[in-house]
Amino acid sequence: MGWVWPFGVVVLLGSGFVAAAVPRLRAAALRRRTAWSAAHAAIAAAGVSRDACAAGVAEAEGLLTRAETIAAGRGGAPAAERAEELARRADALWREAARG
Amino acid sequence: MADRRLRGVVRWVALAAAVAALVIFVVAQRQSVDVSYGRSPSASGGVAEGSAGELSDASVPPVEEMTAMVAGADVVRLPGSVARWDEDRVRAAMGGEPLRILVAPPGLDKAEADRVGDVREADIRIVGTRVSGGIYQAFGDSVDDWRAQFGAGDVTSLLLTLIAGMREQPSPADVHPVRWREPTAAEVSAVAAQLRRTGLYTAPGATLTEVPARAAASAFPTGSALYVALPRHSSDEPAPRYGPALTRLFPGTPVVELHGDWIEYHGPQAGEFAEVVAASFYSQFADRLSRYAYPQANVLGAYLGRVTDVRYAGLFDRPLPYRPADPVRVALPFLPWLFVACVGVFFALSVQSLLRPLRRRRPREQAGAPARLAGLTALAVQMSALTDSRSEAALTRGITALTAARSALDDDLPDAHVRALLADAESHLDEAGRLLPYPGYRPADYLRGRLA
Repeated sequence: MGWVWPFGVVVLLGSGFVAAAVPRLRAAALRRRTAWSAAHAAIAAAGVSRDACAAGVAEAEGLLTRAETIAAGRGGAPAAERAEELARRADALWREAARG
Repeated sequence: MADRRLRGVVRWVALAAAVAALVIFVVAQRQSVDVSYGRSPSASGGVAEGSAGELSDASVPPVEEMTAMVAGADVVRLPGSVARWDEDRVRAAMGGEPLRILVAPPGLDKAEADRVGDVREADIRIVGTRVSGGIYQAFGDSVDDWRAQFGAGDVTSLLLTLIAGMREQPSPADVHPVRWREPTAAEVSAVAAQLRRTGLYTAPGATLTEVPARAAASAFPTGSALYVALPRHSSDEPAPRYGPALTRLFPGTPVVELHGDWIEYHGPQAGEFAEVVAASFYSQFADRLSRYAYPQANVLGAYLGRVTDVRYAGLFDRPLPYRPADPVRVALPFLPWLFVACVGVFFALSVQSLLRPLRRRRPREQAGAPARLAGLTALAVQMSALTDSRSEAALTRGITALTAARSALDDDLPDAHVRALLADAESHLDEAGRLLPYPGYRPADYLRGRLA
């Protein structure tokens, strides 16, 4: 019966750690996917604005390229947020240029 | 959710119980099996000459004087000697050539004992009740032998055995001329009255004044043993044995009866217990007890030590009275099962808490998102046929946002995110609708009309 103790301790620690870690990992993955979804939406919107703008805006091109580069490299939620912000700024610049 | 809270509580309780079981198990490892047959608390160790009061005041004359005495008589009794025997039987055993017997008192020191040994003319020497002759020495080997030898100083049987040995004849059957009898009612009532008062009866002539308390406590843990001390029986009358009568009078109580150096046990388990203790004690100590004159208290102390040893030896399948059951030890075999059960409960609840979100889809907080997506998509499709160069950019942006919202909805992303994308798409479509020359294509109007 002696094997019960180490075995039980391993099961206790293992299930405790898993029960604590899995929801956190799950939440982190959801946040990451959400952030990337927003980033891709912003990049796509910026692409549309670029196509709609007759005149080229060099700064916006640079911003969008950086955003796409970040998106191509994948990464965590912070990278996605950064790419989204860059794409939004590029989008705003193009829309400004198209309206003006 | 009370159900979920209850599950959480059960899970933590199971974890705590498992840890407690583990800790108890680990702590219990310190407790070794503590029943030892080698650690009886009886007094042990050797005895130094004279330190136990075994030397008497008696002494013996010089060797020359003793030699002269032996030369003058077949049997020489020095003053203080205690041994006696059935002279007719011994004389008959000697037959035609009588042997000279020198009887010395017990309790001689080494020098005095050597002097007795130096009397060459004596064929048989009896020191105390120790019988030796030539190269032989006779020993008792049964309870009856020892009772006669130590309780009454009778050495008839030893002498007959020794003579047979010296004559190279087969040993004769044991004979015990000392007779024992039941005590009279008056004797018993006198002894019992004293026992009821103090637990110890000391007859005139006996030397026991006090029972060795520590030895008695460990020998009889119940603490109610009775002690009857009688002197060595020295007359030819039958000697009273109080044990059986007292056992009838005090049922369930150990009775220790002393006759001189002879000690016997009566009472619970006497049938199997008394003979083992007596055989063990007298086969070891008979030689010393026969040569010396120990006070009864010392003999009793050694005897009680042997009683303790026998009791601790766990013979006879008697329950050991000295070790109460330890609840932890009793519960220990159950501990692994308790531990396993707690681990199982904890494991099951942990797994269940992990599976719950997978099994049951997260309830949509707002069921309207798909409907709104569908409405906006329909609007975008209708608008796409009407757009001009001014509004097409806004419409395309709106369609892009709608696509993102749909894939977010498919991926089960949070509602807030889906709604943000939908709001984004709506604002773009609103911008496009404003630029159209036709009214009714702004999302707010369109959706209201659609829902109405």
